[in-house]
This record gives sequence, structure tokens and C-alpha cells, in this order.
Amino acid sequence: MTSAGTPPTIPARMTRRLAPQAGELIDRDRQIVFSWDGDRYPAYQGDTIISALAACGQRVFSRSFKYHRPRGLLTANFNDPGCLVQVDGEPNVRAAHRRVEPGMHVRSQNVWPSLQHDLGAVNQAISRLLPAGFYYKTFMAPRALWPVYQRVFRRFAPGGRVPRGAAEGYYDKRYAHPDVLVAGGGPAGMAAAAAAATAGARVLLVEEEYELGGHLRWGDAAQLARLAELRTAVAAAPSIEVLANAAVIGRYDDNWVAVAQRDLPHARERLIKARASVLVVAPGLIERPYVFAGNDKPGVMLSTAVRRLINLYAVRPGERAVVLTANAEGDRAIADLERAGVQLAAVVDARQGEDVVAARGGGLLREVELAGGRVVEADLLVTAVGWTAPTALLNMAGVRPAYDPRAGRFFPRDLPDDLLAAGGIAGDGTLDQIVDHARAVGREAARRARARGGRSAPPNPLPALPIDTALSLFRSSTHGIVDYSEDVSSKDVVGAVREGFDSIELAKRFTTATMGPAQGKLELVNTVAVHAEATGRDIAGTGTTTWRPPYAPVSLGALAGRSFQPVAYSSLQPWHARQGAKPLVAGQWIRPDHYGDPAAEVRNVRENVGIIDVTPLGKFELQGPDVARLLNYLYVNKWMKLAVGSVRYGVMCGRDGVVLDDGVTGRLADDRYIMTTTSSGPETVWRWIENVLQTEHPQWRIHVTPRTSALASINVAGPKARTLLQRLVEGIDLDPEAFPYMRVRSGAVAGIPGCFMWRIGFTGELSYEIHAPAAYGLQLWETLLATGADLGVAPFGIEAQRIMRLEKGHFIVGQDTDGLTQAYAAGVGALVKLDKEDFVGKPELVWAAQRGDQQILVGLQPADGSIVPDEGCQLVEGERAIVGRITSSRLSPTLGRSICLGFVEPRLAAAGTMVEVRLVDGRRLPVRVMEHHAHYDPEGLRLRV
Amino acid sequence: MRRRLSGGGQRPAARYSALSLLRHGLTGRDWPPAWTHHDLAPSYDVVIIGGGVHGLATAYYLAANHGIRNVAVLEKSYIGGGASGRNTAIIRSNYLTPEGVRFYNRSLTLYQRLAAELNFNVMFEQRGHLTLAHNDASLRTMRWRAEVNKLEGVDSEVIGPAEIKKRAPYLDVSEEPRFPILGALYHPPGGIVRHDAVVWGYARGADAHGVHIHQGTTLLGIDVADGRVRGVATSRGPIATPVVVNCTAGWSSTVAAMAGVELPITTFPLQAAVTEPVKFFLDPVIVSGTLHVYVSQTARGELVLGASVDPYPAYSTRGSLEFTEEVAAHVLELFPSLADLRVLRQWAGLCDMTPDFSPILGKTPVEGFHVDVGWGTYGFKAGPVSGEAMAQLVATGETPAIIKTFDLVRFEDGRLVGEKGAASVGH
Amino acid sequence: MLLIPCVHCGPRNVSEFAYADAVLPAPDPNAAPPSVWRRYLYMRTNPAGWTSEWWYHQSGCRRYFMVERDTRTNEIRAAALPPRPADRGAP
Repeated sequence: MTSAGTPPTIPARMTRRLAPQAGELIDRDRQIVFSWDGDRYPAYQGDTIISALAACGQRVFSRSFKYHRPRGLLTANFNDPGCLVQVDGEPNVRAAHRRVEPGMHVRSQNVWPSLQHDLGAVNQAISRLLPAGFYYKTFMAPRALWPVYQRVFRRFAPGGRVPRGAAEGYYDKRYAHPDVLVAGGGPAGMAAAAAAATAGARVLLVEEEYELGGHLRWGDAAQLARLAELRTAVAAAPSIEVLANAAVIGRYDDNWVAVAQRDLPHARERLIKARASVLVVAPGLIERPYVFAGNDKPGVMLSTAVRRLINLYAVRPGERAVVLTANAEGDRAIADLERAGVQLAAVVDARQGEDVVAARGGGLLREVELAGGRVVEADLLVTAVGWTAPTALLNMAGVRPAYDPRAGRFFPRDLPDDLLAAGGIAGDGTLDQIVDHARAVGREAARRARARGGRSAPPNPLPALPIDTALSLFRSSTHGIVDYSEDVSSKDVVGAVREGFDSIELAKRFTTATMGPAQGKLELVNTVAVHAEATGRDIAGTGTTTWRPPYAPVSLGALAGRSFQPVAYSSLQPWHARQGAKPLVAGQWIRPDHYGDPAAEVRNVRENVGIIDVTPLGKFELQGPDVARLLNYLYVNKWMKLAVGSVRYGVMCGRDGVVLDDGVTGRLADDRYIMTTTSSGPETVWRWIENVLQTEHPQWRIHVTPRTSALASINVAGPKARTLLQRLVEGIDLDPEAFPYMRVRSGAVAGIPGCFMWRIGFTGELSYEIHAPAAYGLQLWETLLATGADLGVAPFGIEAQRIMRLEKGHFIVGQDTDGLTQAYAAGVGALVKLDKEDFVGKPELVWAAQRGDQQILVGLQPADGSIVPDEGCQLVEGERAIVGRITSSRLSPTLGRSICLGFVEPRLAAAGTMVEVRLVDGRRLPVRVMEHHAHYDPEGLRLRV
Repeated sequence: MRRRLSGGGQRPAARYSALSLLRHGLTGRDWPPAWTHHDLAPSYDVVIIGGGVHGLATAYYLAANHGIRNVAVLEKSYIGGGASGRNTAIIRSNYLTPEGVRFYNRSLTLYQRLAAELNFNVMFEQRGHLTLAHNDASLRTMRWRAEVNKLEGVDSEVIGPAEIKKRAPYLDVSEEPRFPILGALYHPPGGIVRHDAVVWGYARGADAHGVHIHQGTTLLGIDVADGRVRGVATSRGPIATPVVVNCTAGWSSTVAAMAGVELPITTFPLQAAVTEPVKFFLDPVIVSGTLHVYVSQTARGELVLGASVDPYPAYSTRGSLEFTEEVAAHVLELFPSLADLRVLRQWAGLCDMTPDFSPILGKTPVEGFHVDVGWGTYGFKAGPVSGEAMAQLVATGETPAIIKTFDLVRFEDGRLVGEKGAASVGH
Repeated sequence: MLLIPCVHCGPRNVSEFAYADAVLPAPDPNAAPPSVWRRYLYMRTNPAGWTSEWWYHQSGCRRYFMVERDTRTNEIRAAALPPRPADRGAP
């Protein structure tokens, strides 16, 4: 390092580094080293990857998509199509934007075996045989070879490589609620932001580059002075937040604005979602490339690229230049080039009718042919032919910008009140005019934002900027590239029109122009112009393709943000996990599937007593005088006479008669009920109840309180369940006379007050389902285990419960029913009370009862009880006629044989009918239709004891 | 309908082949137009509304299979500009119901032959299709589908995580994710196609047979008298016709209402996105119903991402940020190493959802007004078979067996199709 | 992100809400023949333009309310609670 004050010497390898420039972004005191295709290169802090390489004389940075032509610098900013590289594990890095960091490993993409010697370049030689869409016309025969062609195509897929394995990096999201969001931090954006802030607005100012200033950054001394003033004004306003190196990527409904902020200290990229009262669009203008033969040769650059290289990075862009200029920016580039010591071989002034016809050279630019035939030797050709207005954010708001042929670009029109435009996108003029206009826009934006807060006020009209006439220069007399990323030439576009693709959208789709990484920013207007020329229409009549979000590419990581996947656990889950229970993912819930041996868990419930955590059951407390009416309306069975202290099972259908949910509801007090739903059903059922109460029967006085996670629910099942609970209950008489089947009682259990329990029989054994305040769940669970040790009490999981419910023939909604299963088909026809005045689904169930043609759920047992047909296996007749299917199947530890539930056609539903199931391996297995759904204790004697 | 071999004149199309590419390349000669512009004729035997894959396929098969060439296809914008150009071009036949499997399998068979039949490479890449199961309920549905598929002769099987990993090495099949992958339905014949190429191939084929394709022509009304179709009004003038086939998506209710026919359809946007290209790493199409996402990598290297339809109906195709946020989160659940991959573009199309996630094909109460609508999110894969069947219906007056189950009257009869379970995020 | 003007809570992101259905008059379930009932169940006018629909503030106040929305632009011009019965007492 050198002492302060003395500029350090430039490293020898930086052969094209200039002496210090007034606006340069590099810090010559901080030299860093990185690697490019395996070689070490020096750079200064502040260099982009490409500026560092260009300073060292590198000119080729990638190979093109289709023809593998060498590509160099074109725009020297984020959009540069030839400057996509791989940085470590990250593909497609914009190397003309991304700053060099010490130790970065940078590699060229789309090259094989190397950037210098790329075999794909053979495609250049046969490029005439590979016009746009050539693949639609060949590789069709013989069909057997098509997979081989596919593999060859895939080798030509461009881009970098994605890493394999775990995620790297950190991504983040943030919300913002600015009054005014200004998209673009050039002079207009800065002026608008400062004016809006002065008028009292909270402003978010978003700039795609690393620093504010736009084109002023590469300006002369006067412009740099203005830049400093504007920056000072922005910095002085505390209500402006500046986001640099951030792009506004989309404007969605109601000014929901997405911003991608890059390379933060803590995150690779951050998505900011801003609800902006007013959006000011001030993106500036994008310099448009010129179409002519060889316009993609390394050495052909835009005037803004040259000015960036010289003024921001102190890099000499070439040694001997031809400049094609049609505007002031081109003229200023000439001055910059002279200052940088570049020899000016020719200045081609388009305003004088002069033109460039072709750029030539083996790989790099060597000579330029001018109109009239003069050939000039040069390694740099600079073009300054005009501008494209990036109207994407306006289009996303539904605005259709209008083409002005005098100015040769699109302008906004008919903006909605919450959208304003400033700067080059709105018009031309001097810097003073643009800044004054932008200030007026900023003030008006602040006023409209305030008005929206306090309800609307009519928008004030805004002053208009002048619009300069400009040459409409799109294509020379030769054909060249219109889309650099996609390797589409103007000749391809003309050919597409002649083949019938004569609307711009069809031509885009056929040639793939504008579909690559730049998404139209550089290539859209040229494509439209060439298309218009070929069809004989004008540009306004041709229109453009639609700009779609995102305006700038945004990483999946930023869009996803940190992963927030909610997980629902019961208060007992830590205990289950400690016991090594196998977890089962069931919707939002993680539940214990089993604790090692589900068959043993079943046997223990059948012989002793088991406990299961059923907390995920949906639970609602229904209070009010009209609850019985609601239940009577929601369920297919009757509810008006359910006594206090009783529970009942109900099946709920949709309006189409299809089974929606089922569960037990108990009446705890006169006007207080607890309803349970399936564990996957509570959200749907709640929504449905509120729908009924608010839109159909608002006169019913009912209040609904969700209690699912407020209650820990434990089912104590088995012949010894009563013995166990007798040791623990207070104030509840468990005598079967006092507390019979299908009753509910409240009291204290294990010293926990406020519990209630009901006797139901999903497992088929004597069982009590206890609902306790969730905070006491673990205490209750552990007390049950400790107190019942001598009775053989043991936990059982979902799998054991599923086996037992299948032994008992209880269906599971969604497994043994599907999206079309009506109540009768589910085999619960006996429950349906068609004599009720009204209930949900009644009309369809009335007709279903009359029709009786639906497949029906029955109990099934394979003739060979050692074989368990997979759930989903089909019941078949003959070769392939499907007559039903298996919905549930298990090997029953209790019965020692396989048992099933399944659907069969009504003609096969009689008990004793034999049908065939087709097993997964194709074998057929006879199965018998059973009399009951229940395979075990069909009379239900065990659960009524 | 009587066969009318007169109608539009047939036009020999230029033959596409490697040899013709070579000849054109060397001589620099232009290719002849793939289709031509016509004036609107005062009458047609058949008017098809909608210049997407369904409308163009119907027109093509009317001419090619039945000799009915005096046919107009009306397209308000450009061909393939609606749902045909906005879908994610996934082809498969592993449906749930036997009727569904048979129907989509016929379509898949037609797709396999399409390049040869149309002399236009539609780039059908049969890479295999994996529907992931993240819980035992979806695993059960996979088994159900696989068994029905096998009975219908369609190649489909449930596979485990180890085999999934072999077919898609970048997928995270570990226990780490919130919803670990337990298995998948593997369907080897499934794959992706170039959607535009299918549209263009049918258009070129139909045009060569004499069909008139009228782009930029908006339907303004349908003339119905005494319960039968008499003609249509368009932005370019009236047309007399006895037969109108509604082959639209997104606008099927509006078009049907012009004929006085009500449909059980609600229109929802369906969004999709595409990433920047990267080197090829993903062979099969990956679908996860639980995560509401599907992913495939095109031959150009881009990842095409899709999800289920938007949560509320709309005719707006502007798209939402919520969609890209959710689809990105779900893709990274499946492929955690793709965090640095960038989304390049998002778009939306319109999907006409029916109550049973199945289409509506066939006759309506208005004589001569037929529908090929209600395609939800699965219309593109059914384009060929629908065109073939609708053409047969128009030509013979009889509803072909393969589409009988998808008739409009099923909703009045309460005979809904059982695809409801599997098709909600089917792709 | 569309804003839905909840009648109870004011404008909120659409992600807090669930779209329910079009606002439709229900036929008498005990008198309607299948054709009328199933028309109510399945047929929808599905307009490309202004429509009345039910929304549910699922992640908020859990109110159902009616919204008038243009399905082409997502513009919303009115929102209202369902009519309340006269006989309803104090909550």
C-alpha cells in the first residue's frame, strides 16, 4: 500500500487503465485479486468483473447461444448480453454490473472446451442452414432418432451451471409503506424524490446502479456539480430512504411494488414489497444498439458503454475507433475517447446521412465498412443511434404507451392517478427542464399520496416536457443481430414475416427475439422496427410485445425468502419425540405414527388399555340458544333432541350431497356444545359454519369459538380404561349406568380441573376421550401412564388407531370417500333423515336415494387372508372392467387376516358376493363382500360395556 | 353433415425436411408462408371460434379426416395467443378415471405422431413425468391412478425415493424438508412439447387443406333462430353457417351466452414463470400436488414453473407477485440448490374451471352450437384428441364414445366426472 | 397484491381473504326440481366485467361480505355486509 496523497502505480497487467478520472468509482488504494477462467487478475475495489478484465485488455467474455460467436462488451451495465458469467456456484452473473470481490472465481459460460477455442463455433459456418425456427422443419424422421437429437439440443442450452446439494446463501424480505416510491435514481428521480420529501412525503428512492446519479455520473464538470447538488438534496431529506443496487421489478394491483435489492451485507438478495400510494417512474432511457452486419463483434459498443468505461472505471475501451453518432451522447463519447487517448479513425455522422454498413474481423473487430464502401481499420466501433424508453412498469399498470415517430420512441399516456412519469421516459429538454419537471412531479406525487390518505382530491395536471425530434435509426442496409442473447438476426425476423408470422407476437415466438435474459430492453424496438419494415406497416401500427414482470431478473431465493413453513404440534409432541415415535406428516400436523410396533399397540388396546394423542381433532365450542338448529342443518342426521350430557356422531355434506366431514358433538350444557371435526377439516368446517350463520341464517344466535389447540385430547381405550380412570377422576361417576356409551361428563382428571370426557368408540373398545386444557396435556398423559403401569397402559399411534378403526369399519373422510362420494355411497344411508325439513345437501340426497346407482362402500375380505391388497388397487371384472376399488386395507393383528374397505358397484354389494381385486403385480385375488363395514365386533358389544 | 368436398381450395404446402433446409440455406430462398390470409366468405359449413390448439385441431381434422374444408377459424388476436401460448406444455395421460385415461392417452398417441402427420416438428420430448407424494394420502391416490392406468394400458407406476433420486438427482429426497418426498407416480410417456409449434403445425395443416384462418377477427354475436344456429356476426362482417364450435378458453361463457347457452364455468387466471437458462440438469417433469408446483426444464435450459390457478376468478392476465413468491418457495423446497437461479418472466393465462375438473365437449341445447370448453388447467394436452372428436361429431352428427362422458347435460343429470380428486393440481 | 375493502376492517391484502362464490339467489330446496337446483349448484354467468361475489375475511374478522368487482381490471366499487334480519336481538 502507498502513502496517502500519492496515487499508487497501476499494476502492469492493467494495460488499458487510464489515469484517474473525475467521476471514477474505483478505489486505487485498494487492489484485489480474482480469477478468470483459472488465471489470476488484478482489480481495484469498485471495479465490475468486466471493467477489471477490460482494464487488463480482455475483450471476449462469452460465446453466443446458437452460433457460439465470441461476445464482448456492448452496454457495460447490468443489461450487457455478452457479459454473463459463472461466479463460484452462481450462474448467469451480470459481470458488467457485479463488483469484483477478493478471491472470486469467475468462469466463462457456454464455452466448450474453452472461451478461445469453442467447438460450437462450427455452427457459425453453417448458420445459413440454421435460421430461426429451423428445428421445426427437421429432425422429424426417423422418429427413433428424435431422442438422440434431443440430447444434442440439450448440450447447446446456454447459461451457467446450478450447484447440486444444499442451499447456499441467505435471502430476506421486507415490507415498506412509502407515500411515494421513485423508480430510478438519475437526475429526474433524485429531483422528484427531494421535492416529494420537501412536500411532506415519505419516499423510497430505488436505483439500479450502486450509486445515485444516472448519466450525470459520466458527465463533464458542470454535470458532476449538478450531481453533487442533487445528491446533497436527497441526503438532506430525512424522509427519503435510498435503496441502491436495487431494481423495481414489478408493479402489481393497487401499487404493490416489488423491489429486488442486491448484495446486502447479510443477504445475497432481498425482496422488498412496498405498498406505494404513488409510484413515480423515472428509469431514464436505454441506449439502443444499431443493426448491421457484424454488430455483435467484440469491439462494437454503445456510446454509453464507452462513456461508462472511461469515466466510471478509467478503462480505455480500444486503441483505434470509428464512431457512428446521431446525437449529442455520441458527440460526447468522441470527446471522452480523445481524452482517453483513443485514436479516432473515423467519425460517421448519421445526421449528415453517413452510415456504417459492416463490422468485420476474424473473431474480434478489425475493420469497419462505411456506406460508400470506405473500409477503416479499427478495434472499436461506437454507435450512438438513439434510445428505448423502458416503459415496463407503466405497461404493468395497464398503460399502453404511444409511439412518437418524430422522437423515435414510446411515451406514456393516460396514466392512472397513482402513477407518474419523470425524466427521459416523459420527454426531452435540458437538464434544468428535466429537473424542474421532475420536481413538479414529486410535489404532485406527494399531494396525491396525501389525498389518498384523506380520500381523494382531483389530480392536478402536470407540465409537459418538450419532445425532441430524432433520427429513426434502427437498421443499416445490411442485416445484423437484433437479439444478442438469442442470436436472432434481422434476417430471421424478415424471414419469419414472409413465412406468415406477420404479427409481432407471432414473430417473437417464432424467432425467440426478446425472450432471453435482457427481456426486450435492448432488442425489442429493433425487432419491432425490422418487423414493421418487413410487413410494410409502421412501428405504431406494429405495436410491441407485452412487457411482463419481473423488469429485472430476480433470484428464486429472494422471491422465496426465508422458509416459514408452519408446523402444528400438540402439547405432547416433545414427549412423543423423546420416545422415538415415528413422525407422520398429516397436513399441518406432525403426529406420532407409532412407537415401534403398531401391531403390539393394537393388541395392548384390545387386551389392556392404551392412550393416544388425538389433539389434532378439530374442536369448536358452539354457544347460544340456536345451536341445535345449526347442527340439524349442517349434519344429515337429527339433532333437535340431543340431551345435555349426551354426544352424537354426525356426517356433514356439501350442497351437492358429497360427504364433507364427520365427527362427534356433545352437549355440555343447555346452550353449550363442543363439536369435533376431522383433523384435516377444522378450517373448512369453520368457514362453512360462518357462511351458514352469516349469509343464510343470520337470525340464529350462535357464537363459534375454535378450541382445537386450546385443548389437549387424549383417548383412553381398552377393556381396562375404566379401571385406570377410576383412579384419576374427581366428580365424575364412571359407573356404566351413570356414564354410559355416547355420553359426556365434566370434571377433574388427574387433579386437572376443567376437563370433559366422552365415551365413544372409534377403536371399538371401551374408551374415554378426555379433553383437558392444553397446558396440562403432558401432565395428564404422564399421570395416565404412571397410574396405569400395573394395568399395562401404553401409548399407541396413528397406525394402530387406523388398524383398529378399519377392524371396526369406520370410514375416513377423504380416504374412504372422495370428491364425489355422497352420504349413501359412504354407506351411512341409515343416518340420513330425509324427513327433516331442510339440511345441507338434502335435495341431492333425496334424488340419490331414488336413484341408487352409485358405487357403495362395503367391508371386504380377501379369500387369502395373508395377502393385503394395496390401497388404491382396483376391483375388476374380465380383462379390464373396473367395478370398484380398495380404499383401506391392513393386516388385522386381532383377526390374523387381511381386511379392507372398498367401493363396489351396487349390484355387487350383497354380502357374500365374490369379486376380484387386481394386485399391484397384476395377479388377481378373490375378495368377499362382507355384511358389515366392521370386521370385528360388528354388534359393538365391547365398546358399550 | 353432408360432405362438401368443394369449399376452400387445397394448396400444396412446402415440404419441411433436413434436405429442404439445406436447399433453402444454400440458395437463400425464402420459405413460402405457412398459412395465408383470406377475405371473409359470406358463408361457411362450419365456423370455429378460437384459433388455439383446440380450434385449429378441430379445423384440421374436419378437413383431413372428413373432407369438410369449407371451414373458418375465427381468432380475435393471433393464433395461439390465448391459453395455447400461455400453458406449460406438459403432456401426460396418467389420469384417475378410466374415461379420463382413455381420452388423454388417445391425445398422447396423436402427439407422438403429430410431427410426422403435420410435417412440423412439435418437439414432443417424452422425458417422463413424476408426480411427487409428500404424505400417505397422496401416495394412496398415486397407487389408485397407477392401477387404473395399468388397466387401461398406460405406463404408470409408483416409485420410491431412491428411484426418484436416480431420475432427478437435484431433487431433495431427504427427510429434511417440511414435507419429505415419500414416493412418486412415475409416468414414462409423459413429457413436454413446444406449444407454439403444435398451434402452428395445425394451422399450417388446416390451411393447406383449404381451411380459412381469420386472425384479428372478433366474434360479436351468434345468430340463433328456432333453436338452431344460423350464422355469426364478426368484426369483419356476418357469416352464414349452420354449425358453430366454441373452442375458446377464458371466453367460453361469453361466447356461449351469445348463443343463449349457460355453462358451469368460472374463469380463473393461471400463472407461470420461466427462469434464465442454465445447463441441462432436469430430465423428467416434476409435479407436487402438496406444494402446488410443477417444474420442467426446456431444451433451451430454462426452468418452466407453474402452480394452481389463482385463488379468485378474474379475466386479468397481469399476474401477481404472490404467485412468484409462492412458486419460488415451493421450487426451493424441492430443489434447494437453485436459490441463485433467476426468474426471467412471469405470465398468466385464463382457465375455465368446471365443478368436476373435467371439460365439456359435445352438443348443447342449441342445434348446431357445439362446445369444446371448460378446459381448466389441462386443455393443451387434450388438443389433438378434442379436435379429432369434435371433428367427428360435426361430420357425423353423433357424439363419439370417447367424449360421451364429458357432455354438458351431465351437470343437470348429476353425473359429475370423478377427476375431481386428482386433477386439481394435475399437470 | 389486490386490496379488498373489508366492511369491518377496511382495506387489507387479498391474501387475508378467501373468495367464496358469486352472489346467487337459492331456490327452495324442497320444491326445486333437479334442473333448477343443479343450475343453482353449477351454472355461473361468469361475466367478464362487473360481478357481485362473496368474500370471507379468513385471516381477519371472519366476516362474509359482498363485493362488486370488475373481473377484467380487479377494480372494486362497493362492498357490503349481508342484510341482517329485523328479529335479531342484541349480540
